[in-house]
Amino acid sequence: MRVSTLGFQTDASQQMQTLETQISQTQQELSTGLQLQSASDNPAAMSQVNQLNVQISASQQYQTNGSSLNSNLTLEEQSLSDATNVMQSARDLAVEANNASLTSSQRQDIATQLQQLLQQLVSTANSTDSNGNYLFAGEASTTQPFAQSGNSVTYNGSNSVSQVQISSNQRLSSSDSGSSVFMNIPAGNGTFTTAVGAGNSGSATIDAGTVTNASQWVPDTYTITFTDPTDYTVTNSAGTTVTSGTFTSPGSIAFDGISTTVTGTPAAGDTFTVAPAGTSSAFNTLSSLITTLNNPDLSSAQVSTQVGTALEQIDGAISNFGEVSASVGARINAITAANTTAQSQQTTMTASVSTLQDVNYAAATTQLSTEELALQAAQESYASIAKMSLFNYLQ
Amino acid sequence: MSNVLATSVSGLLAFQKALSVTSNNVSNVSTPGYSVESPDFTAQLGVSTSLGNFGNGVDVSGVTRSYSELLAGQMRTSQSSYSSFNAYATTAGSIDNMLSDTSTGLTATLQNFTNSLQTLANAPTQSASGQAVLSSAQTLAQTIQGYASQLSQADQNVEGQISSSVAEINTLASGIATVNGQIAAQSASGQSPNTLLDQRDQLINQLSQYVSVNTATQSDGSLDVFIGSGQSLVTGAVPQTLTAIPNQYNPTQLDVGLSTAGSAGSTVDITGSITGGSLGGLLAVRSQVIDPTLNTLGQLSIGVATIVNQQQAAGLTSSGTQGQPMFAVGPVQVSNSSFNTGTAQVGVTLSNVSALTTDDYTLTNTGGTWQLYDQTQQQAVTMGGDGSAGNPFTAAGLSIVVSGTPGAGDSFLIQPTSQAAAGFGVLLTSPSQIASAAAVQANAAATNTGSGTIAAATVTDPTNPSLLTATNIVFSSPTQYQINGTGTTYAYTPGAAIAANGWTTSISGTPAAGDTFTVSSNAGNTGDNSNLFAIIDGLNTNSLNGGTTSLIGAANTLVSQVGAQTQQAQNNAQAQQAVNTSATDAVNSVSGVNLDEEAANMVKYQQAYQACAQMIQASSQMFTSLLTAITDG
Repeated sequence: MRVSTLGFQTDASQQMQTLETQISQTQQELSTGLQLQSASDNPAAMSQVNQLNVQISASQQYQTNGSSLNSNLTLEEQSLSDATNVMQSARDLAVEANNASLTSSQRQDIATQLQQLLQQLVSTANSTDSNGNYLFAGEASTTQPFAQSGNSVTYNGSNSVSQVQISSNQRLSSSDSGSSVFMNIPAGNGTFTTAVGAGNSGSATIDAGTVTNASQWVPDTYTITFTDPTDYTVTNSAGTTVTSGTFTSPGSIAFDGISTTVTGTPAAGDTFTVAPAGTSSAFNTLSSLITTLNNPDLSSAQVSTQVGTALEQIDGAISNFGEVSASVGARINAITAANTTAQSQQTTMTASVSTLQDVNYAAATTQLSTEELALQAAQESYASIAKMSLFNYLQ
Repeated sequence: MSNVLATSVSGLLAFQKALSVTSNNVSNVSTPGYSVESPDFTAQLGVSTSLGNFGNGVDVSGVTRSYSELLAGQMRTSQSSYSSFNAYATTAGSIDNMLSDTSTGLTATLQNFTNSLQTLANAPTQSASGQAVLSSAQTLAQTIQGYASQLSQADQNVEGQISSSVAEINTLASGIATVNGQIAAQSASGQSPNTLLDQRDQLINQLSQYVSVNTATQSDGSLDVFIGSGQSLVTGAVPQTLTAIPNQYNPTQLDVGLSTAGSAGSTVDITGSITGGSLGGLLAVRSQVIDPTLNTLGQLSIGVATIVNQQQAAGLTSSGTQGQPMFAVGPVQVSNSSFNTGTAQVGVTLSNVSALTTDDYTLTNTGGTWQLYDQTQQQAVTMGGDGSAGNPFTAAGLSIVVSGTPGAGDSFLIQPTSQAAAGFGVLLTSPSQIASAAAVQANAAATNTGSGTIAAATVTDPTNPSLLTATNIVFSSPTQYQINGTGTTYAYTPGAAIAANGWTTSISGTPAAGDTFTVSSNAGNTGDNSNLFAIIDGLNTNSLNGGTTSLIGAANTLVSQVGAQTQQAQNNAQAQQAVNTSATDAVNSVSGVNLDEEAANMVKYQQAYQACAQMIQASSQMFTSLLTAITDG
């Protein structure tokens, strides 16, 4: 092929420019450490890098969420353990008070100690986290949840609790509302409560009872009336007789799938009530116990039944705290598990991002040397060829 | 003997001419577009005698330029393609670079905004976290706005280049026309006007950088030039004029018009027919990269703003009021055609983000009915409704209301998303304006004896004036309930939706007679973060393009799509450059000057010249010998 002199010159300079562009590109890759400078270098890789970066960023955020939730839950666990200790002490005092040989002033002393415990419990229930938010106020986290007036404690918090996201598909309750921890503790045995009639003259007491067949239980207020010390009838709230029978102490009275035991000698006309268990609060349990112990006019049967109810409810509260605490523990475990998963996922994803966008120094350096060599060869060959002309020899 | 002298003299003169051709070639070794020339030697007719035919020397009958029409055409075609892809790749590359930052880019910024909402959700009462949400919202807005302004800057550059390309094409066209005239005049003499031909070829080569060119040679030697899909630019010695004309809908965008000389005022819009060359590349990058990118950013902005703003309204701020919109977006752009004759007005509002597209539409009145046409997809779109305020046209997530009297053929350009990104901004100024909490709470009364539980209430209509008014759901029996004691009794179905005052909830379990459930304002529950999660969920949902694409997905697709377009243009430009180089080499191998060749020619002609001179001397000596013989004799 004929080669034109101008064409040769133009081609040579164009080729050297191309080589210089390549060298500058390789140099840029080496100096930035990135082989993926812009999406046009590799659109698919850039899309993956963006996607992975988003996932890494989200995963790190979930870890942050988890660690902040973890510290709050640890505080809550501590408060629950404090509350359990208070109730345990109260239980000891109640057992001590449930002794017919105690004088009313001795019972009042115990009541005073219980008063202290009540205040401790209120203070524990009003604990705050590091931000000054109340742990047990539910979503009303800036409102002091429990207000004490005398022996009565009311809940001003919210029943719902906020959530915290600890992984892309896991949201955990950030706390437990005060109402579910302290207020709505199932009363009595959880199904019904028993009480001794206020005007009873006999010495008989009634226990908290048990459920024998839950499906037969019809929630209603039942009255057990002793027509004489050995005969009783059970009527429902409409006055209809549900059952009746003869009584020998200690005797069990069973109806509608439940059973209670009356111990002692009832007088004719004595009544006992069985009512559907509402819920009671841990504070109410303590304050009614305090009221009972402070009341010198109660018969020992009444004291015994009421203390028995209180013990039942204290146990209920302790077991409720335990359940909440277990759920808190489960949440802490979930955070730990999510954290471990996040950690390993992040490691994998970061490695993928690095593979996609980071420069391979060995390859890039080799490429740079090759390109340098090519440019050098192009320059040298051009310099020597460009000088050649037939005119040089025509002297 | 006189014959020898005359023959030698003809040789001397011929080789003189040949050397002048060679010297012209050598002088033009660096002239772009110069085609190497060679003398056409012709033996002169001999004299017939009875002894035979004696030659009469040589003459140079003409000078031929070495030229291949085919190769020149190939070079121009590849030049047009290269210029087109190069112009495309340059502009697309700048947009690609803008979008490609992995740490401060669109996807990262969107994710940071979601992350800041998560941090606020951890402690909704922390105003520092609220401030961080507003900051990251600002960053998002600045990123999108910055992109929008860089894109409009890129568009302005393109418009500027279109104007200057059009001006350049006109200069070249009139140059070609002038040279055509001169060639036609000189060709009449029968000799090829080589320099003019080279000049014209060079002008056409330059033209091929701006637009794709086709040529047709006429019998008088002039060349007709066609551009695009066959639009005549030069006919003989008459050039046509290209003009950059404002788009009928958007005066800031330039279209290309062709006005024919002699018929003043008739300008035809040939934008759609322009292909190749930098002009073709610029028009393509504008319609394939700049406008779609701006539209996609707009769609994204509308998505973010709609999701967040709707949920803001459905939530309560720490002061217990429903949230105000967090983001502002630019409006739907409606432009009337400059050709419209009627008084019709078109108002367009967004009605459905999911159905919203990134396309542009024209609404045209044809024969008294309005028709919507998707400019991007090039297809008609069916509309619902009748266009009145009460029953607007609906299509593609838009509500279109037409008023006034249209003229026949009046049309409007509707750009749902093109202005949205430029107007994307943050409206909230204080962390206390962020609606973290749900608007309403649902509670069961503490005195309830049944086992009924009420689910969290969801806001369905944030504009309901009674939304925050406490509403009691009271069960008159385990199977019947009343809402706010209005007298209407509803049958209770566990789990079925119960809706009132702009919210909906459900009750399950077995409520007892007299049980009460209350849905009321959530004010005071400042620790509630459920509305933040509703915002986060909304942002993560596939909410765009008919519910197939998430916001981050759309942003990521945009980045990789522009990347792919740029990469393709770069690759094509590179390939076409190689094609162009080899086509140019081919042209050069025919038409280029090779100095070694010229040196050899020079030696050849010089030697021939010297030989002719020797012949003259020989003839002179012969003559002298003859004279001497006569004198001596």
